[in-house]
Amino acid sequence: MPVDDPDRAGALALRAATEAVTTAALDGIPPARMGVALGTTLGGMLLFERWMAREPVPRPERIPYYAPAVRLARMLACRGPVATPQLACASGTHAIALAAEWVRRGRADVVLAGGTDFLCRFVVAGFNCLRATADMPRPFDVRRRGLVLGEGAAIVVVEEEGHAARRGAAVRARLAGIGCAADATHMTAPDREGGGATRALLAALDDARLMPEAVDFVSAHGTGTPYNDAMEAVALARVFGVGRVPVNSIKGAIGHTLGAAGALEAALCVETLARGVVPPTAGLETVDPACAGLDLVYGEPRRHTVRAAISTSSGFAGTNAALVLTAP
Amino acid sequence: MSGVLITAGYALDAVADVPLGHLPEAVQARAARAERITALTLAAAGAVLAAARLVPEGSTGPSPGIGVVLGTAFGCFLSNAAYQERFADGGPAAASPRIFAATVSNAAAGELAIAYRLAGPGVTLAAGAASGLAALGHASDLLRAGQADALVAGGVDALGAPLARWLAEGGLPAGRPPAEAAVLLVLEAPTFARERGAPVLGVVLGHATGFEPAPSGEDAGNGLAGVVTAALEEADVRPPDIALVVSAAPPALARLEAHALARALGPARPRIMSPKDTYGETFGAAGPLGLLTGLGEEPSGAPVLVLDVCASGHVAALVARGCQP
Repeated sequence: MPVDDPDRAGALALRAATEAVTTAALDGIPPARMGVALGTTLGGMLLFERWMAREPVPRPERIPYYAPAVRLARMLACRGPVATPQLACASGTHAIALAAEWVRRGRADVVLAGGTDFLCRFVVAGFNCLRATADMPRPFDVRRRGLVLGEGAAIVVVEEEGHAARRGAAVRARLAGIGCAADATHMTAPDREGGGATRALLAALDDARLMPEAVDFVSAHGTGTPYNDAMEAVALARVFGVGRVPVNSIKGAIGHTLGAAGALEAALCVETLARGVVPPTAGLETVDPACAGLDLVYGEPRRHTVRAAISTSSGFAGTNAALVLTAP
Repeated sequence: MSGVLITAGYALDAVADVPLGHLPEAVQARAARAERITALTLAAAGAVLAAARLVPEGSTGPSPGIGVVLGTAFGCFLSNAAYQERFADGGPAAASPRIFAATVSNAAAGELAIAYRLAGPGVTLAAGAASGLAALGHASDLLRAGQADALVAGGVDALGAPLARWLAEGGLPAGRPPAEAAVLLVLEAPTFARERGAPVLGVVLGHATGFEPAPSGEDAGNGLAGVVTAALEEADVRPPDIALVVSAAPPALARLEAHALARALGPARPRIMSPKDTYGETFGAAGPLGLLTGLGEEPSGAPVLVLDVCASGHVAALVARGCQP
């Protein structure tokens, strides 16, 4: 990992995307048919911090949010649609949803979709001043105090079904449905009633033409902040019924990777479909009574056949998005 | 392919003080304490929502069928700078919760959704100076997919000293004076617009986006040509039927754009106009501003081809026609 790259978001994304291109054997795709949908909340912030301090910056054109996607498009010869969804902590989920829309509309055959973010002073100080951070992430736990920031990048290859079949690609999962909705209530606090999250989940299920009963696993946003997890408990119990579907949050294990989180969680859903195992929610020991309506997986991994999984994300300014993934 | 209806459009550009008098009192208060990009967005949104008669006066409940799709090249750049300045001067203790909440580029769209309770899909996209058409295109796709009934869609970028410095240092070669604008349209699914008896200004017929890696060289312009061809095919419009092309290339990419048009349009030679020569480079707002300018020139029936071309590599094309008598 090129940790000394001053464009850390771009470097992380490029590493993930290069692996994705190799794993999916994407040689020979016409460049005009390949797109990039890459979400980020920080983008070139490491460069920006230096530039604001009037220090020399090697590549000032890499400061804007759109720059990591541009770097991928240039390095990996993508000449199709290239865009940077900017939906705060739901950016990675929105990026995969955008890729799905492009592929369905025939705007690209293959899209490198996901998210990237990193740790820097800017964001740590920001979440600290909102009193939203904790020493340890404890999603859905009665003792949860806030989120713990992480960093990373995740890229999934979203490909048109017929295109994948013709080139004999190994299909890992179907992206069956996408949905998004706004809370339209508050800039930083989630809607206590989970209105936007509920609408996004229902829109994704409707798009996938699945009833809530068909969903076997929910990858929650589960940041470990008091309000987010309580809001999600309301929304998930309302959509799926009380205690009916296993739920976890990987943020207890890897922290909140912001714009990358939704893409990492989509990759987790793909793994649960393939392996029939739901990993436990690290940091969760005593379920908050406010979250008792959820069948939370914690302590040990759970063997569980998963044919349909749903991943949900929420973020600042009241954004919510959900993806339905099904077995190939 | 069925089109998406344009039921209102509003361009707010070149203002020193953002006009807020036309907004409901509660929205005025939000705009007055917000970052500049949000104030510009709320001011344009209030005007375009009133023109479309979309949100009933005094309505307070959420509208789950109505959402926001916004394109912005720089988003919260200025908020980031303001936050970073305080932080640099005073250390972590000086970090401002209020400004930190605005250091996401979807803050403007989020404030708009809250102000008018637009609880449907909300998306903010960055694609350099092609962000605006990318947003209008994605909004059209969401409406066609039945994910919303109506969307406030368009582009916005605010200017300020830090961004001006970055541009002056060559961060993004625009080639024209940077300018500020918020340009929003209301796009609607045809059945929804008809049922509510909405006024119809025009129809979005097709669009496409792509990426041009280099300003010159053997392949320069082929990507944009492919994007134009794809947009025309989706629109079911043949090159000889285009009445007007709205050009967008920075001067350094003028040859690339000309090559792309020649390649995509063949012998057809439609009239070409360049609103950026009048308005300057408005980045995320440029495409929607080009569309409204084009529909102003060709208000009834003849297809207009609108381009977005950015030195970042992002390119876009959108085909629309006016529906005014």
